[in-house]
Amino acid sequence: MNVVNRVKVEDCFDGSAVFNYELSEPWTEQSIQRLAGLGHFQYFADFPRPLFCLRTDAGLFVNGVAGSYDCRVVLPRTNREQVQKTLDDVLIEELNTHEEHH
Amino acid sequence: MIYLNNAATAWPKAPGVVEAVSECLASVPEHPGRTAAAAHRLPDACRGRLARLFGVEHADRVVITQHATQALNLAILGLCLHAGDEVVTSVMEHNSMLRPLSRLEDMQGLRLTVIGLTPEGNLDENAFEQAIARGPRLVAINHASNVTGQVMPVAALFKQAHRAGAVTLLDASQSLGHIPVNAEALNADIIAFTGHKGLRGPAGIGGLYVRKGLELEQVIVGGTGVRSDLRLHPGEMPTRLEAGTPNMPAMAGLNAALCWIEEHGAAFEAAASVRTAQLRAGLKSISGVRLFGQREGEPAIGVVSFRILGWPVEEAGYVLTESFGIVCRTGLHCAPLIHSAIGSAPDGTLRFSPSGATTEQEIAETIDAVKRMAA
Repeated sequence: MNVVNRVKVEDCFDGSAVFNYELSEPWTEQSIQRLAGLGHFQYFADFPRPLFCLRTDAGLFVNGVAGSYDCRVVLPRTNREQVQKTLDDVLIEELNTHEEHH
Repeated sequence: MIYLNNAATAWPKAPGVVEAVSECLASVPEHPGRTAAAAHRLPDACRGRLARLFGVEHADRVVITQHATQALNLAILGLCLHAGDEVVTSVMEHNSMLRPLSRLEDMQGLRLTVIGLTPEGNLDENAFEQAIARGPRLVAINHASNVTGQVMPVAALFKQAHRAGAVTLLDASQSLGHIPVNAEALNADIIAFTGHKGLRGPAGIGGLYVRKGLELEQVIVGGTGVRSDLRLHPGEMPTRLEAGTPNMPAMAGLNAALCWIEEHGAAFEAAASVRTAQLRAGLKSISGVRLFGQREGEPAIGVVSFRILGWPVEEAGYVLTESFGIVCRTGLHCAPLIHSAIGSAPDGTLRFSPSGATTEQEIAETIDAVKRMAA
């Protein structure tokens, strides 16, 4: 899985915090569960469209819906560039490392 | 999909609006003074219906604009406020009011007094009276908050303003179509409004009512289609404040919406009140939900602002929309000052705004969704 595109999402603030990550493959239950180690992770399998929420100590939120080709990333108020770079590295590494094992 | 974002823009539009816009676009274009001789009929009809809504006799005092923001700018700039003039407004205002005023504060030395709320959530009347005693030029107030739904005691506030000699400007963007907006009863000299919210017309159209005897200076001038022989823009209302080719398709849609409202508006708004009350009561019963700025029995429009414990506002909005298919609004709602007053700063609130088209089943599903998130 790769990040194909990062699109800024307009919000009430300066628009620099919220991104939509477009992915090369859809979220599966397996790929969603691989995020569990990256922070406080919740998977709402019983919601109408099963959805995950990942929150990290750095103040980052990542949300996505099973079956969709994207996820919503909300960066913290401070240190945004570093947090986003770490997310990109860790997210892709985590997903792809596990893919290889499977 | 459950649409609970009517305070942003009404959907579905009033019956007849889509057809009227479509028919206008498909027909040979008519523009007042520019093409067909009968082209003034639509603007006249639209103005007439709006004048009736405002309870005013002279339809030529109703100016058609692109939106409420343009209308508020025409009013605020058209009053030619000078350095040292005081303007009284409130923390409840939308940026369409706050930003033109703040700009004049910075550029022209206008004295801007922003009235806050009491701990109970009412406009601070003591602060308002003190400001009025200083003799402001303008008192500019929101009729209903787009964040809390609270309806301001405009008639009483504007009565005090008139006693002090101030001009009164009402932002009826969130109230027109939902509750009565009678210019005389509210003591409003100027009323700005939009066509796409409570009136359930298309976006791209709004307007301004200006009391007879009060003439605003022109801010935007140019082509009018009439009196093209004059070197300067005509001074007669409503042309005085209208320049450029009018948005006839939007006007056709608004006129259709106004026709529908005349017959069905009261019943539609009664249904909206019932749905809002059901929604409010349902959310209130959920532990882990905090409602903002609402008290039982007080006048309000169909807006419910809240937060779900443990859910950041932005994330909660995403979950409601993407997982449950509930369209809502999150954040500051373009009204940045109210959030400090009601305790929802800095991230704002989740906002549901049902309408008379919202079903009881949709309200039940929405309450259930929030319940599941709060569990």
